[in-house]
Amino acid sequence: MMRPTMTPGRSEGTREERTREERTRSEGDRGETTREEGITGKTVYRQVGQSPNRLEAREKVTGRALYVHDMEFPGMLYAKMLHSPYAHAEILSIDVSEAKALPGVKAVLTGRELPYLLGLYMVDKPILAQHKVRYQGEPVAAVAAVDGKTAAKALSLIKVEYRPLPAVLSVEEALAGKVLVHEDINTLDYVKGVFFPQPDSNIASWHKTIKGDIQKGFAQAELIIENELRLPQVAHVPLETHVVIVEADPYSPKVKIWSSAQSPFAVRNLLAKAFGLSRADISLVVPYVGGGFGGKAGIHLEPLGVVLSRACQGRPVKIQATREEEFNQLPTREGLRGRVKTGVTKDGKIVAEEIYFDWDGGAYADYSVNVGRAAGYAGAGPYEIPNIELHSRTLYTNKVFGTAYRGFGHLETHWIIERQMDLVAQALGMDPYELRMKNLLREGAATITGEKITAYSGRVDQCLEAVAKEISWSGYQSALEREKAFQTGKARGKGLAVLHKAPAMPPNTSTSAIMQMDEDGNVRLLLGAIDMGQGAYTVMAQIAAEVLDMPLEKVKVIWENDTDKNPYDWQTVASKYTFMGGNAVIRCAQDLLRQMKEVAACVLRSPSEELTHGDEKIYHVQHHDKAIAYKDLALGYTYEDGTGIGGPLIGRGVYMAEGLTNLNPETGQGLPALDWTYGAHGAEIEIDLESGEIHVLKIASAFDVGRVINRKLAAGQVVGGVIQGLGSALIGGYKYSPEGRLLNPSFTDNKIPTAKDIPDRIVPIFIENPQLDGPFGARGVGEHPMISVPSVLANAVYDALGINFYELPLSPERIALALARRKE
Amino acid sequence: MCVEHEHKVAETYLDSGLPRVRVSCTVNGESVSRWIDPTMSLLHFLRHELNLLGTKEGCGEGECGACTIILGGKAVNSCLVLAQEAAGSRILTVEGLGQGGRLSVLQEEFIKEDALQCGFCTPGMLMSARALLDRNPEPEEEDIKEAIAGNLCRCTGYYPIIKAIRTASEREREASQR
Amino acid sequence: MDSEFVYLKPPSLSDLLKHLEPWGEQSKVLAGGTDLLVLLRRHSLSPAYVVDLKGIEELQRLEEVEGGDVFLGAGITVNEAAHSGLVQKRYKAVADAANTLASYQLRNRATVVGNICNASPGADLAGPLLVFDAKVQIVSARGKREVLLQDFFAGVKKTILRPQELVYGLILPAVAAGERSLYLKQARIKGHDLGIVGVAARLDSRKKFHLAMSSVAPTPVRLTRLETLLNDSPWSPELPEQAAEAVREEIRPISDVRASAAYRSHMAGVLVKRAIRYLMEEG
Repeated sequence: MMRPTMTPGRSEGTREERTREERTRSEGDRGETTREEGITGKTVYRQVGQSPNRLEAREKVTGRALYVHDMEFPGMLYAKMLHSPYAHAEILSIDVSEAKALPGVKAVLTGRELPYLLGLYMVDKPILAQHKVRYQGEPVAAVAAVDGKTAAKALSLIKVEYRPLPAVLSVEEALAGKVLVHEDINTLDYVKGVFFPQPDSNIASWHKTIKGDIQKGFAQAELIIENELRLPQVAHVPLETHVVIVEADPYSPKVKIWSSAQSPFAVRNLLAKAFGLSRADISLVVPYVGGGFGGKAGIHLEPLGVVLSRACQGRPVKIQATREEEFNQLPTREGLRGRVKTGVTKDGKIVAEEIYFDWDGGAYADYSVNVGRAAGYAGAGPYEIPNIELHSRTLYTNKVFGTAYRGFGHLETHWIIERQMDLVAQALGMDPYELRMKNLLREGAATITGEKITAYSGRVDQCLEAVAKEISWSGYQSALEREKAFQTGKARGKGLAVLHKAPAMPPNTSTSAIMQMDEDGNVRLLLGAIDMGQGAYTVMAQIAAEVLDMPLEKVKVIWENDTDKNPYDWQTVASKYTFMGGNAVIRCAQDLLRQMKEVAACVLRSPSEELTHGDEKIYHVQHHDKAIAYKDLALGYTYEDGTGIGGPLIGRGVYMAEGLTNLNPETGQGLPALDWTYGAHGAEIEIDLESGEIHVLKIASAFDVGRVINRKLAAGQVVGGVIQGLGSALIGGYKYSPEGRLLNPSFTDNKIPTAKDIPDRIVPIFIENPQLDGPFGARGVGEHPMISVPSVLANAVYDALGINFYELPLSPERIALALARRKE
Repeated sequence: MCVEHEHKVAETYLDSGLPRVRVSCTVNGESVSRWIDPTMSLLHFLRHELNLLGTKEGCGEGECGACTIILGGKAVNSCLVLAQEAAGSRILTVEGLGQGGRLSVLQEEFIKEDALQCGFCTPGMLMSARALLDRNPEPEEEDIKEAIAGNLCRCTGYYPIIKAIRTASEREREASQR
Repeated sequence: MDSEFVYLKPPSLSDLLKHLEPWGEQSKVLAGGTDLLVLLRRHSLSPAYVVDLKGIEELQRLEEVEGGDVFLGAGITVNEAAHSGLVQKRYKAVADAANTLASYQLRNRATVVGNICNASPGADLAGPLLVFDAKVQIVSARGKREVLLQDFFAGVKKTILRPQELVYGLILPAVAAGERSLYLKQARIKGHDLGIVGVAARLDSRKKFHLAMSSVAPTPVRLTRLETLLNDSPWSPELPEQAAEAVREEIRPISDVRASAAYRSHMAGVLVKRAIRYLMEEG
């Protein structure tokens, strides 16, 4: 026990029990439990590992939490957009005269008046289509009017003449390059050295990872297994659609935006670049966000809001996407075709692998090129592969464009790679558990970009072992066992899959936190990241309360994030915030403690080195009665005679990623990963052999999160993420007509799981091998639960049926028809 | 509102040429009355006329359940009800669940089980759950799933919601037996 | 709503019919509104009048009438039908279908008659009503007429209803004690979804099968050839499988965004087989 005084006995006891329980769960911790952890040096926790309720829960269950969706301002106008009916067409003319003449219409804009191009990495996207449209659903004109009804009526009065062009609707057509989605690809601006657009092609970026010598590797191989797998685009489906309100003064550069956005500082940065403004002229306010999942990570409706508001004399303009626009205009997850060739020895050691990932990135590059890059360094899975060549090509097609989606390409690449591992095992006649165990990354191994795995990187083997145990894995069924089950009309199967993911972010990514103390000893915490329901603010408050050793109730996180007031954060993406934000908050709290100790040292006449803290007091390590309460230091200490010293306490904490590098443009070698969170799923399913329906009996999911900060919230991420993954596996997917029209732009035909579609059980398992530079040893886990859910289910389907599936979703139709074909 | 002024409003025609109509009903125990656009949905009426912003719109087409309220004792999608259809009815929205600064048992259980993340589906989810417990105080798990299958949630995976509704039903039964 | 219309809520049937007589072409009758309001919101329809029938008492009846028939008024919601003891006991297939339609909230508003009048090829309630030989009572200011439900459908989303007419209600003919029926539906997900195939089956007291399907033709259809085959065949353990094969011959489903023709055909057979097997075991 490190602290002399703490909260009374009862909770102390539970803390110790919990620590013991954690130890038994986390086998990797054995023999190292006395080691001090991370930069805090604490081993027994008041907050960490507990399950406090999320801080904002009351507002959310009473309907008092306000979202941009709910906001209105005096004089506010409502905007609506007109969409292209064609996947690819030249715009010959747009006549807006009748729309402009409609009473109540304040502005009508078309792309011709907006000579701007925007983009995160490839600067390729107009605010409204300029001379041509590149996907069905792309906005070609926008109206701002006194109400939505008038705006909708005005849209119906706009006449657009198109000349349809042949459309690029598949990765094959994109690679053939006969039709170019961006004929100006050679002159587009982009982030050089990181992305690699190919001249006169539809290849927005071609990322290569080359390690060892695959020719030699394949020569050593005793068996080479080649497969091609695919999956379609899938929608994020936040319940709150994209929405912004923008007030842009036409007489000054000032822009104020309220947005349902994940990355206000990134939006500010991109807007400033596009419109030539200073960052200080732009304020972004983000209140509660009704779900993001990556779909709100970039910049979307904000630029249109700016030009519309300016055209309306600076009146606030609200643009709220309809559900159809959410599916059909706003970005989705990329589709993927993966071709993988694996060379193994007879005893199951991977000696060479060649992978081609071809991303169906849609009309604009947005995040897709960076998804392609992440696939470049993580797409081969958590395996040690001595010789590899991995090509990840992000392709332009005439479809809704792709963006970040929870998992950032990893659900997709792990669909390919974790199916391939089972296919390799089948070819070898080997247990897929054994095959994985033989090749998993372990201490001392190197990743495909040359990063050394250490004892503190986390243990994927332990994750796999835990889920295999949880589902009582004992290898594939025999053909005989399968035959027997077939007589009953239902077949059962089990499957396994592993996963890894590191935050996909630039090497110099940073975040920051500010903490102020009030005279009652409460602290107010200002953060740069957004809490969109993942629980980030609750976790940060727990960390602050832990370091300051005070009750959680006394830490207030300022909810409405405002770029004018909150400190900087890069983006709320990538499962990086518990790690990075947590470290920033620890440093922030330590800064506050340091300031308090400095003042207390004077007052107590002790060197500050002899002072410690606990229970909201600064006190002498030996003489506990020499103590000052935090609240008496909050605004500076006041002596009996009225003299004050110190001053208001303001703590600052920053965290900048350490030790990362850019990747070599030729070989992709380098250090891209702040931390790797490893995981594994085990699934048990039952298939109705006639209808093809998969009933999931159980999914066990284990993650080496280093240290659980909030058990309840962490389990919530796992359960919710697994169900989102289940949607991708069994239900989701965009469907297009042969002309490139999206056929399912509504909930009627674009489904997500409902309460009746969930497995009988989900078992979250947390493995806690601490990350030395993580806050209390923690790693992120926000995205990971989705990854490998499709592959684990397809692996279980193989076990049940003896049939391999190479394409998603695993719909009842796909399975029933495959069974019927086999019968024939 | 004085009678004279009311007449003035009543006579107002909308830009479309349609006359405003008067809708009166009881919302969360309070009588309300407004002159409105005759084509207004009940959802819009609650949100924009009464400023009850707890009820959300997720699709506007009855597919997501975010706008679920209790109308005349029954859970309905308020986006697919005209405000005029609700004239004379009793309506309960999420704002009416708690009483005098005290949360209802259902709300407390949602918090305890962390049956919410982004919170956008939560009001509709709570109203579907409330209607369920009103008609069936002892729901089986299947009843709970059926009752909320029209409420989409993209965050939680539903398990904590189902558990919260079940424990709330137990607590409510205990309280009523006391 | 993006459409502009005047909302009317006539207090009596004659008031409503009096309105429809001149204004029928420009009016839409509002019952549950779960289909109509979606169209009005998107401005896919622009009627001058939306006429709510919920103010008319006599349309809110679900009761036994003379001869043991059951009358189900145009205002009866899907949940009211699903929860009705009368329907559950005598017309179980109707109750089954009512319980699978959309979501609980929607069923609190959507009406049985509305589901029929919408005339979607996939209307969940159509098949069950067809196998009970339901009749549609149609009224206008000029009088009444009654047609068999199977003659009511005229094509995808089309019925024989004239603009001046209103569906007053449905007559479900009396059934003998001991009848069995059920509705089986295959959808893409288990929650709120449209069926991609629906099978309604009834075994009457004379051990005759009645079968109907949704989502396999432009309108919900009776499977008359299959009925003949089943009713002419002796009962054998192979009968359900034979029925499955026969139904695949009888129907010509299409491929669309929800399912391929091949899967619809496959599932039609599966559901028919299951339905026949159930009825043979229960009957």
